[in-house]
Order: sequence, then structure tokens, then C-alpha cells
Amino acid sequence: MARVRFVEATKRYGDVAALEGLNLTVEDGELVVFVGPSGSGKTTALRLLAGLESISSGHVYIGDKQVDDIPPRERDIAMVFQDYALYPQMTVYKNLAFGLRMRKVPGPEIDKQVRDAARILGLEAMLERRPRQLSGGQRQRVALGRALVRSPQVFLMDEPLSNLDAKLRVQTRVEIARIQREFGTTTVYVTHDQTEAMTLGQRVAVMKDGALQQFDTPKTLYDRPANLFVAGFIGSPAMNLTEASLDREGDSLVARFGDHRLRIGDDTLARRPELHRFEGRKVVIGIRPEGFEDASIVPEAPPDRRLSVVVDLREDMGSDVYAYFSGLPAFTPETTGKPNDAADPTTRPPDTATFIARLSPQTHVREGTQAELLVDEEAIHFFNPETGLGVDGGRTR
Amino acid sequence: MTGRIDRAVNYALLVGFSFVALYPIGGIVLAALQRPGELSGFSIPRDLHFSNFAEAWTQGHFATYLKSSLIVSVSVVVVATLLSLLAGFAFGTMKFPGHRLLFYVFLLGLMVPLEGIVIPLYYDLRALSLTDTYWALILPQIGLSLAFGTFWMRAFFMSTPRSLIEAAEIDGARNWSILWRVLVPFARPAILTMMVLIFMWTWNEFLLALVMVSSENLRTAPLGLAFFQGQHSSEATLLAAGAIIVSLPVVVTYVLLQRHFIRGMLSGAVKG
Repeated sequence: MARVRFVEATKRYGDVAALEGLNLTVEDGELVVFVGPSGSGKTTALRLLAGLESISSGHVYIGDKQVDDIPPRERDIAMVFQDYALYPQMTVYKNLAFGLRMRKVPGPEIDKQVRDAARILGLEAMLERRPRQLSGGQRQRVALGRALVRSPQVFLMDEPLSNLDAKLRVQTRVEIARIQREFGTTTVYVTHDQTEAMTLGQRVAVMKDGALQQFDTPKTLYDRPANLFVAGFIGSPAMNLTEASLDREGDSLVARFGDHRLRIGDDTLARRPELHRFEGRKVVIGIRPEGFEDASIVPEAPPDRRLSVVVDLREDMGSDVYAYFSGLPAFTPETTGKPNDAADPTTRPPDTATFIARLSPQTHVREGTQAELLVDEEAIHFFNPETGLGVDGGRTR
Repeated sequence: MTGRIDRAVNYALLVGFSFVALYPIGGIVLAALQRPGELSGFSIPRDLHFSNFAEAWTQGHFATYLKSSLIVSVSVVVVATLLSLLAGFAFGTMKFPGHRLLFYVFLLGLMVPLEGIVIPLYYDLRALSLTDTYWALILPQIGLSLAFGTFWMRAFFMSTPRSLIEAAEIDGARNWSILWRVLVPFARPAILTMMVLIFMWTWNEFLLALVMVSSENLRTAPLGLAFFQGQHSSEATLLAAGAIIVSLPVVVTYVLLQRHFIRGMLSGAVKG
């Protein structure tokens, strides 16, 4: 087991920085997930840690040892690849044993460890089969087993679930979490799927364009996103964003957007003292879908915290009802026009935004009719429209 | 409807081309079975004279020639395969200074015809006292085969999933183990294909043998056949039998390995 540290870790390909000055520490025994859209630098960070890419500047430490110039085989790590990378001509047994044989572990010891790993992963019946005779889920478990059997200091996982179907993905995710906890091995896990990141990571590093956006627990990322990117990327459905002006009315602040106004209570102001600076200015407000409720089923819903909207579409999910409504002024982040925008959840159509509200199944909202939605004040997030940073949000790093 | 017409046209074309390819071969086989002296064009023999083969075998000293050919071909195939694997692995998976330039130098070996270098090569080998030895046949052909072999194996190693090599690296394997334990078993169809091709080319090489060796016991099969032809120019049935004897090893090798051969040819072209 070991702590992993990135210190100003940078990887450049010519003029392009795939990873820029990453500073991050994964504590001993921790499972950290790197998440971000493609090209965000998450895989580059993992490959630097594995030693599969050379570092352009900065350092990587495993334990107390600086590993910048140490080849992968001497880093005492194990990696699970997206395509599993099982040795096709070897049986499952030999696949599991390969790493131990390369390390000159004595035969009886290899046999014991391979059988132990096979038992933990339920692979005992397939030890003599070859990878192509296995299903995707089984191959995935062999890949996990190959990492497990070596008892390395660090597990590296590069989108290990992306080739599995939805059901198997959930199962394997639980399995990975269980094994990681059981063995307590420091783990760095890369994915583009925020659900995977949130459910699996003890802490999550959100990456974009080669830079770390926020590194914190899933709950903090969700409750206090450091910037608009994190706000839009974490959570599903994504956070609703709109541009509002913050005005003083009497002794309280009011956020106005479109025809709507929301009173900002004293509690909120006390929690976010920086908000006062935005008085009379524009601010981006973000409301998570679950920050709404149908006002008609909430007793004593305060009138100054309601939005009166026309519901465009109602989706019954069983446990929730999703209500879509539009006509609110959209906020388009400054990232518009970059090639990655298609994958960037913070990008919205230019003029009006479509909002999603996640309502309780008792709701009376109907498609095409007016509805009163109550906004949970605690669920409102504020962002500086110029910098995109959260107002009293979580720390960026 | 179009499906059926398509298929008919396909078959017609394939049968046509097969006929074009097989006609001369069939002609030689039939000629070899004629009664000696009775050959007249493409005709079905009245009775089969397998004795022509025995006759050609003894008169043409084909036992000696085939032995020479076998020694040369096997040596060339073994050494060239080994070296091609190593060079192809380096060019296909490693980045080292000058790797591109060096690879073009290798490609040069594919482009320059043997005819262009055989004379200087003769003088070089004579200076080393290697002419009229097996070395004069083996060493140049290893060099010639290496150009193709490196090109072929490099393409294969470049097409293998990078993660396979990386997984082995992380598993603790050094380059030597990665090549022999992970990649070579995986590359078997491609390697076998390469070996068959090198074997065929080496077996059929004529010019080099003609220039380099003068002793009869060093003559390779194609060279021996040419001498045999000179001595028995009028006995077409014997010549046909000799030609079949000389080409048989290549045909047998190909037939035995054709399944791997086709798989090797397709690997890379078709995703598995």
C-alpha cells in the first residue's frame, strides 16, 4: 500500500498540454476517481502514474519514491485496461500467473495466489479456458484478477467498465468497490461516467482540458461545485443553469431571471457572504433538478420562492417525475465554440434554457399546463458569470 | 434475383481464372505421365507412366539437388525468421533515434532487385572465399528475406493492441519476454505466413545459385533442373517430371499450412 502524489505533473505532446501542472495526493488505501470528458487529461494522468508515458515536467511519487524515470515493471502497480488486454493465447490460469512468473515467484506460491484470486472473483471453473471463450463480464473479472493476484502497491483502472452492458456494469462496480475495501489497496480509477465516479470514488478529481477542476468527496462536489463545469458535469440530470440579476428589495436580495424572481434568504446570505458583492450585478444561478417541488403538494409553500412555468414535457420514472420547462434565459459559458463542446454538459443553446425538475410522484403537473414549482433555497448555487467560479463554492484544488 | 446473378458471375469469373492458373500446371502433370517420346501438346495420356518420375530422379540427380535446396531453404527460413521477429519487434513497438530512417534502409532491400547486386556480391563473397559454398547461398538470401520479414513483422506488431504490450510491461515482463511469451504466440499465423513466403522464394531462387556455385553437389533444385533441361532438351516427359519433383516441396508446404497462411494474410486487414 502506498500514497500516490502528483506534483506539478505535466505532459505535453509538442505544443499541446495533455496534462497541465497536476497537484494531487491519493492517500494510502484510498480510491480516487479521475473523471472528465474525453481530452480532459484523466487518462494521461493515469498513464504517467503507470509509467506508460514519460513525464514532461513535474514529478510522480508512489510512496516516498519518485518514480519519474522508473519503468512500469518496477513501480509495483497493476493496471486494468479498458479492453482488458488479456493474453489471448494463454489460459485464464496463465493470464493470472503471468505477472508472478515474471517476478520469479516460486511455483507453489503462484498456484496458491492464482487460486485465491480465482476464488475471490468466482473464476475457479474457468481457469483452463482461454479469453476468447469467456463473456465480457468474465474477461473483465480475469483482468481484475490479474491485477489482484500481484498484491501491488497501487491499482490503476482505465475505464474498466465501459465495455460492459448496463446491468453488468453496476454489478462489477459494486464488486470493484468491495474488493478495493477488502484489500485496502490504493486505487486510481479513470472514467468519463460521472455516476461511476460518484458511486465509486472516496474522492473524485474532476478534470477538463488537462487541468484539475475540483478534487473532493462526491458529496462536496455535488453540494459545493467549485465552478460551472463541475456543476454541470456532476449530477444527473445536470444542474439547471440560468443567468440572473441580483437586486436588493427592501432588506433582502432577489434573483430575477426572465419573468421570475426568487428571494434569497438570510440563511443563504449568511452561508455565502460573498454574494453581497454581486448585488446589482449579473450572477449565474444553478438549481439541481431535485431542488424543485410541485408547490401544490407542499403545505405553506412560500410565494416568493416559486417559479410559475408551463410544463413542456412530463416523464414518469416511477420513483420520480421529470418535468421539463423552458423560456428561462440561458447561460452559455465562455467555452462555446471549442471542439469539446458537444461533450460539455455546461453548454446550452444560446437563448433559452430547458430546465428539468425532478418532482415527487404525487405531483399534479400536466403537460402544457401552468405549474407552480417551489425552489428549495438551499439547493440554489451561485456562480460568477465572468470567471465561472462558484460564489463561496468548493475549493478548486 | 440479383443475388443469384451476382453469384453466377462470381463463380464464372473464379472458374475462368482458376482455369487460366491451372491449365499450364495440368499440362505439365499430364505431360509427365505420358509414355516417353509420345508427347504432343496438351493431351490425355493413354496409360500412366509413373516411371518417368523415377527416371528423372536418378538421371537428374535430384536427390542431391533437393538436399542442397533443403539445407539452404531451412537455414534461410530459420535465421531470417528469427532476425525478422527481432527487427520487426523493435520497429513495430519501440521508438528510438533514427527508427524511421533505418526502416527505410530496410525497405531499400525490398526495392533493389537481386540482379542489380549479384555481380558485386559475387566479388565480395569471392574475396571472403565463400563462393561455391552453402554460405554463398544462405547469407545473401537471409539478407534479402530480412527486408521483407522486417517489413511484415513490423506491420503485424504495429497492429497488435498496444495495451497487450503495456499489460505485459506492467506485469513485469522485459522486452525479451514480451516478444517471446506474449507477442510470438499471438503472431503465429503471421509468422507462419512469412515463413512460407520466405521458403518459397528461397526454394525457387535461381540466379543466385547460378552465379555463386559451380560444384554439382551444391546445386539447388531449380539450378539442377536447368542443367537437367540442357541435357535432356528433347525428352519433354522427363523434363515435366523433373519440374514436378522440384516444385513439389513448395506445393506440399503451402497445402499443409494454407489455413494459417490465409489467416496470416488476412490478419490486420480484417479485424478479428
